Amino acid sequence: MRALLALTVFGGGVAHATLAPALRIGNVAPDIPLIVVTLLALRRGPEFGCLAGFAAGLIQDAAGGGLVGVQAFTKALVGFSLGLAGGRLRVTQPLVQVPGLVVLSVLEGVVRFALLKLFHFPAAFGDLMLYVVLPQALYNGFLGAALVLALAWAEAQRGRLP
Amino acid sequence: MRIRRLALLGATLAVCLLLLTLQTRGRAPDAADVVALVTTPVQKAMAAVQRGAFGVWSTYVEWKNVHAENRRLREENRRLKVEALAVTETSEENQRLRRLLALRSRLPLETTAGEVIAREWGGWVRSLTINKGQGDDVQKLAAVISPDGLIGRVVDVRPGASVVQVLNDPASTVGAHALRTRAPGVVEGDARGSLRFKFMARDGAGLQVGDLVVTSGLGGVFPRGIPIGRVRAIEDRGSALFHYAVLEPAVDLARVYEVLLVTGDRRKDVTAYFPAGG
Repeated sequence: MRALLALTVFGGGVAHATLAPALRIGNVAPDIPLIVVTLLALRRGPEFGCLAGFAAGLIQDAAGGGLVGVQAFTKALVGFSLGLAGGRLRVTQPLVQVPGLVVLSVLEGVVRFALLKLFHFPAAFGDLMLYVVLPQALYNGFLGAALVLALAWAEAQRGRLP
Repeated sequence: MRIRRLALLGATLAVCLLLLTLQTRGRAPDAADVVALVTTPVQKAMAAVQRGAFGVWSTYVEWKNVHAENRRLREENRRLKVEALAVTETSEENQRLRRLLALRSRLPLETTAGEVIAREWGGWVRSLTINKGQGDDVQKLAAVISPDGLIGRVVDVRPGASVVQVLNDPASTVGAHALRTRAPGVVEGDARGSLRFKFMARDGAGLQVGDLVVTSGLGGVFPRGIPIGRVRAIEDRGSALFHYAVLEPAVDLARVYEVLLVTGDRRKDVTAYFPAGG
């Protein structure tokens, strides 16, 4: 589990560092670690999701140069919550995945904003939601759905192998 | 199990809040140091992978761009070369036509301009086909000239075209004389494509290398005084009654593109109208 966790977090971080700038549309870049944490939490459960979210968020915080611990907090929470809810959600359908990831991203943004507000974050909620959180949430939704489909296809291919 | 999960979540969130609190209470360096212990190696590894990935990718993209640009530049280079050739060609043609027009306007002869549309340049026959023929007032044996001198005569007139026997055709003969000495003779073509000024009398010809040979006008086919060529060498066969000179044609016969065909009265002396005849 530790190796997988390290690999996942490392892979998510690398993907975020390498792919996110390339995938940028205008000023909007996807939150790849959030997508990875979501997928992992749904498959591996709340403990794994929590730790993966914490590690991925910590790396993002450290790399971003802001307050260290904010994204670790929110992503750990996301990972844990989705890990718990994973068994009850039908997440194989793109029609569920896209809005689900959008809502999840928005919720993560709201929690992050609330947490930052505790530490006197100056930005306005409306502007932040309109120009940062919502566009990124939409992007996360579509990218995450594409990733889920790609994984499902890869697993199907692997299942056909003798 | 459930308590363990909640404990894990609580501990994780507590660590986060602790880190945040430490940073906001002025102990940011401590918190950052703690995180750095864990994150710095990961970040270094990520940076290395990122550099590698971007390096490979950017090299590939650069190579693709350079490749595409190279192809584009090659294409552009080829197009520009063709355009440059076309411009040069047009410029040369323009110059040739200007010279032809100038000659036509100063000659006291009726002429019509024609364009070379074909050429036969084998050893047996040397001829040009001109785009003027029946209906253009072109007659058989009409003299064909250029601003540099004589080209030949029309030997066949067809609808819309005429065939011109060129001076260096082996069957071509033109009455001529040396401009300086007035020594008469006949200019003939030969199989090698050169011109010979033949039947010069051994005594009294006084020909020298560089002398200009022009049409004599005898026979009424060619107007008098059209440059044919300059003496390149004199062949003296000792006891022969006549000797001959090898001529350098006044006109570069292989590079004739536009000509003037004399259509009217040919019995005129045009020596003064050619620059070389002055």
